[in-house]
Amino acid sequence: MAAIQVDGLRKSYGDFEAVKEISFTVARGEIFALLGRNGAGKSTTIEILAGFQRPDGGTVRVLGLDPVKDRAKVRKSTGIMLQEAGFFPDLTVARTVDSWRDLVPAARPRAEALELVGLTEKAGTKVRQLSGGEKRRLDLALATLGRPDLLFLDEPTTGMDPAARKATWDVVTDLAERGTTVLLTTHYLEEAQRLATTMAIMDRGAIVASGGMAETLAAQTGRVAFELPSGVEVQDLPVDVTAMEGTTVICRVPDPDVAAQTLLGWAGERGLRLRGLEVRTATLEDLFLDLAGKEKA
Amino acid sequence: MTTVRETLAAARLGGRIYWRDKQALTATVLTSVGLGIGLPVLMDRLRSGDPSLVVAQLIGMLAVVLTLSAFNQSAISLTFRRDQLILKRLRAAGLSDGAVLGGELLNIMTQSVLIALVTTVAVVNLTSATAPRDPLLFTVFVVLGATVLTLLGAAWTVVIPRAEVSAPMSVPFFMIAGLGAGAFGPMGQLLPGWLTTALDLLPTAAVVRVGRATFADGTFVDDLQAAAVPLLILSVWAAIALLVISRRFRWEPRRS
Ligand SMILES: Nc1ncnc2c1ncn2[C@@H]1O[C@H](COP(=O)(O)OP(=O)(O)O)[C@@H](O)[C@H]1O
Ligand SMILES: [Mg+2]
Repeated sequence: MAAIQVDGLRKSYGDFEAVKEISFTVARGEIFALLGRNGAGKSTTIEILAGFQRPDGGTVRVLGLDPVKDRAKVRKSTGIMLQEAGFFPDLTVARTVDSWRDLVPAARPRAEALELVGLTEKAGTKVRQLSGGEKRRLDLALATLGRPDLLFLDEPTTGMDPAARKATWDVVTDLAERGTTVLLTTHYLEEAQRLATTMAIMDRGAIVASGGMAETLAAQTGRVAFELPSGVEVQDLPVDVTAMEGTTVICRVPDPDVAAQTLLGWAGERGLRLRGLEVRTATLEDLFLDLAGKEKA
Repeated sequence: MTTVRETLAAARLGGRIYWRDKQALTATVLTSVGLGIGLPVLMDRLRSGDPSLVVAQLIGMLAVVLTLSAFNQSAISLTFRRDQLILKRLRAAGLSDGAVLGGELLNIMTQSVLIALVTTVAVVNLTSATAPRDPLLFTVFVVLGATVLTLLGAAWTVVIPRAEVSAPMSVPFFMIAGLGAGAFGPMGQLLPGWLTTALDLLPTAAVVRVGRATFADGTFVDDLQAAAVPLLILSVWAAIALLVISRRFRWEPRRS
């Protein structure tokens, strides 16, 4: 049985359709990324899956259960980190975790929870004195307190510095290795690419691309970029040029390594230097830009 | 975890915050206790030698005090907790909706009962008023009244758009409750009959009626008879409050 099964899910706020008939499946134990720009409908989807909102149409199954009707049961095995939720600002970090341990059955010990998210040193600090990124880490500690089978993370690393972000990725990877299913939303493409095995890209309420991360990226074109050497015309180059950005040549090719080798050989024969040569396999960003480009066309 | 345990856990958490919020607490407690004790004591000075007047004043004030500390406090606390996304956070912790609300309301109800009882004990000790003949029944109705008013406060949040307007939007109720309970002296006698009848149906009126009976001469059987209709009134209000809450309670701030 899949951890999450979504079929034809719809949700409107008044006349505004925030989620338009989306379908996807999250297998047990995988990290699934729901990607998209602000307002794409990611949080709405996650809140429906967590039983906070009722869908207007379609069916949703979480751990085989209906998240609205069986919320009590679903909640027992899920942890959720909302995009935004309030704290008690006057409680210390330690007190907050203690209070939550009171609410969650079989919770981790406080020390372990704080260690997990790197907040051990902040135990005595009042929540109102934490930075945005530290609050996010406390959020993660609370969401994972009950060692859930299924973890919802809505924009988990917003406001974190690069080190904290990296540490959070490690926590999530580690949890997944121990069998936790993770559904995360993010607009940081790198985050999704690092963490997720499967993904779906949402745009204005609809899923516009989805699949395994590796396969999807492999099916995408890579990118080679370099400064056009002076005295060379674009049509003289041994590769197909996709675009020019100023004097920078950009080639989108299925196999960027081969294209780069061809280019270097060609330049070497002519005694030319290729300044600013950049070779990249496809990233989610390329996929994103592609999708945006198709939309305009 | 059973619902009861969840509710108590939520109450402990809410209470940790609630009983520490010195400012809010001082405001509620001082206003309520000040009014509740002050006016009956004043009445005692003005009309010394007429304990029944003092008792009438005390019971009238109890309606005001209960409304302020249960209804208003509940409406205000919950709208603030809602706007600060704390209710949402508690739901995310896996608590059932009933436990989240129950936990919050339990603290408010407890505070309200304490205020009402302290007020009563103080007035009885400071004035010529006698103690209630049946303190147990009196206390039971104070608890029931506080519970129903707390629930009604939660139901009232349904129409409160934002936390900032929760206080002004809850003010009229203690005036109405006080008017119906005779807290403002003989003003009640000037009201048209239909209005008096309507005011008698208020939850505070139910507490007032039993309060009067338990302070007056009579027997336990008389008290029970006097309590029947008030019990019915309170039950109906509780049912209305629970219905509104279960159908319409908003857990999140309005975005539109
Ligand atoms: N409660 C609400 N009332 C009205 N509109 C909403 C509400 N919640 C979300 N929206 C709108 O629905 C769209 C999707 O929101 P959301 O799911 O939060 O997107 P995302 O998480 O992808 O940024 C946005 O345009 C947002 O403004
Ligand atoms: Mg969002």
